[in-house]
Amino acid sequence: MLWIKNAYVIDPAQRLSGINDVLVKDGVIVKSAGSLQPADVLEALEAQRLDDVLQVEGEGKYLFPGLIDVHVHLREPGQEEKEDIRSGSRAAIKGGFTSILAMANTTPIVDNRALTEFVRLQGERAAMAKVYPIAAVTKGFLGKELVEMMDILDGGAVAFSDDGKGIQNAEMMRLALEYAKLAGCPIISHCEDDSLAGHGVMRKGEMSARLGLRGIPASAESVMVARDVLLTAETGGKLHIAHVSTKESVQIIREAKKMGVDVTAEVNPHHLIFTDQDVILTDASYKVNPPLPSAEDQIALLEGLLDGTIDMLATDHAPHTWEEKTRPFAEAPFGINALETVLAAVWQNLVLKGKITPDQVIALWSLNPARRFGLPGGTLRPGSQADLVLFDPEYREMISAETMETKSQNTPFLGQEMQGFPVMTIVGGKIRMAGRKLLDNKEEA
Amino acid sequence: MNWKHKDLLDLDKLTAEEIKHILKTAAPMKEILARPNKKLPTLRGKSVVMLFYENSTRTRTSFETAAKILGADTSNIAVAQSSVSKGETLLDTAKTLQAMKVDLVVIRHGSSGAAEFLADELSAGVINGGDGQHAHPTQALLDFFTMQERLGELQGKKIVIVGDVLHSRVVRSNVLGLKKLGAEIVLVGPPTLLPSEMNYLGVKTSYDLDKELPGADAVMALRLQLERQQSGLFPSIREYSRLYGLSQERLRQTGKDTIIMHPGPMNRGVEITSDLADSVQSVIEEQVTNGVAIRMALIYLLIGGTGSVVD
Ligand SMILES: [Zn+2]
Repeated sequence: MLWIKNAYVIDPAQRLSGINDVLVKDGVIVKSAGSLQPADVLEALEAQRLDDVLQVEGEGKYLFPGLIDVHVHLREPGQEEKEDIRSGSRAAIKGGFTSILAMANTTPIVDNRALTEFVRLQGERAAMAKVYPIAAVTKGFLGKELVEMMDILDGGAVAFSDDGKGIQNAEMMRLALEYAKLAGCPIISHCEDDSLAGHGVMRKGEMSARLGLRGIPASAESVMVARDVLLTAETGGKLHIAHVSTKESVQIIREAKKMGVDVTAEVNPHHLIFTDQDVILTDASYKVNPPLPSAEDQIALLEGLLDGTIDMLATDHAPHTWEEKTRPFAEAPFGINALETVLAAVWQNLVLKGKITPDQVIALWSLNPARRFGLPGGTLRPGSQADLVLFDPEYREMISAETMETKSQNTPFLGQEMQGFPVMTIVGGKIRMAGRKLLDNKEEA
Repeated sequence: MNWKHKDLLDLDKLTAEEIKHILKTAAPMKEILARPNKKLPTLRGKSVVMLFYENSTRTRTSFETAAKILGADTSNIAVAQSSVSKGETLLDTAKTLQAMKVDLVVIRHGSSGAAEFLADELSAGVINGGDGQHAHPTQALLDFFTMQERLGELQGKKIVIVGDVLHSRVVRSNVLGLKKLGAEIVLVGPPTLLPSEMNYLGVKTSYDLDKELPGADAVMALRLQLERQQSGLFPSIREYSRLYGLSQERLRQTGKDTIIMHPGPMNRGVEITSDLADSVQSVIEEQVTNGVAIRMALIYLLIGGTGSVVD
């Protein structure tokens, strides 16, 4: 049993934002209310003695529902040298994520029930963040045949996506949206038209011209966003657009929502923090797909986030080995390592600069993802799963290979001191991290 | 002037004075080239490594000749360029070169930034012999040297560069340097090879060659990769040549004794007609000779120390 006291509690689902106490018993939130007296606590927890209750002082810290990241690459099976489900879910806990959705672009691709169950079970074995598999839309990502969605759903998938690749064939995408109505869950679209993207390595513009790097035009994304929105409208399916990065995409999604299309969208913090102007020829940490946007795009992305056009934040955590990223820019793989640094990055670059409030961050990264993908968590409402994060906005940490749980270090923040980290992460009532240390023992609350 | 740079990666970090100093150093080098006995002891005991990931016999031979005349030992590491093959990475190669204690590395690589990447790892000097679509500073310097020989000071001179501006590292380095030297530059090409993002260079761009020729002191044709037609960048070689090919007749529009340049190798009859390429206006062969002189100057400045050039 847990009694977290005097924390600044944020729970957008209950419109809670202020100093409160939160009580946890048997893995479930029992009460969240203004400062409680020992007698109230014992009564609410149905406990005899206060000694049976673990008391956590939350003064000066934020307490919010565990973050849910709907876009994570864990690389297992097949590329465990980059990351595995255990290291990735540990990194998630360290970063304040109690649930993560694992993309299917592993080797082999998660396109059947057996592999879906494997991912889920590896997550359970790691016993850190909850790991929810996202299965492929098409077998082998070939864009030719749909996967057995209903069977895979029974294996534990919560959505379908060929993320890592755009589905080039429009008819295939139309059929996927149509068939997924059976499953009732969204198709997550990685919008990238291969013919437009070509062999580009960063956003096409004056900066790519200056650096002599092949550019990817903004239209490579927005053309497919438009296509998928139209197909969703026509089929009445559910669409979730991954990593929106252009102003045209934001406009299209805004219009689609007005038209009543069942579409949601996510944005990656790195697209809100960096632009193509930050790209350095000799540092492939800045090589991501979709590429870092123009400054204009970035403004539109933030506007979209604040006016509800974009529904959630997601990391697109994409670990790669040091060897792969220590190459000339054009030759290195796309991807940024994010789980452990992203909350501090958002805190420093967006919250402290007044671009977004802490309450908005929690709605975008916990409540909205839980609602869209039908996941437990996302709120501190009594009766909900006790997925919690105690966040210290003052806590400073130097980002280094030694301190990170992830296997890869492809982050532009490596070697920098950052501010604002979770100091306790609780999943299903179990404390998984305290004082920045992961706890493997199954401490019951 | 005391030379203070370890590497030559591009012209953006050089001042106009430094560029002029390189050109000045190249002049006596060119005289040495004309001697019957072309071997100096200046860089005896120094080692220069050619690290060519892209085939370019012309550029490699030019550097090699330059290093040898100055008395340095040269060696070649020819590496097949393949970004996906799992072989030794550029980083491994850098570590090996570092261990061999070489004095200077000339790198040509298909990836932008490869030269800078290598320079960051090595205590030896690095000369960028062309990296991706990014930079080709020695080509630019030899172009300036050639223009200056014929036209004098480049301040105020009108230079028209025509062709595949988008993919050309030669253009990027040329514009950076020519701006510093005060020249007026016009870039010409079809919109697909001269897209709006090239405006970052901050010089005039145009799709119409004939309109830009009047008053030009130098016209530089860029090499056209003929296979780009297959990618749809232009409809046919015939049409390209009609719109952007240089001919004697077309060049009359400049109204001057304009010099004609080309970084080579040429597609004769495409970028330039043969008779123009071989005419008195053409300085294309001179560019090759000057390339050796410029590279001698650079090798000397980067690893030659402070002594006088020819003793
Ligand atoms: Zn993606």
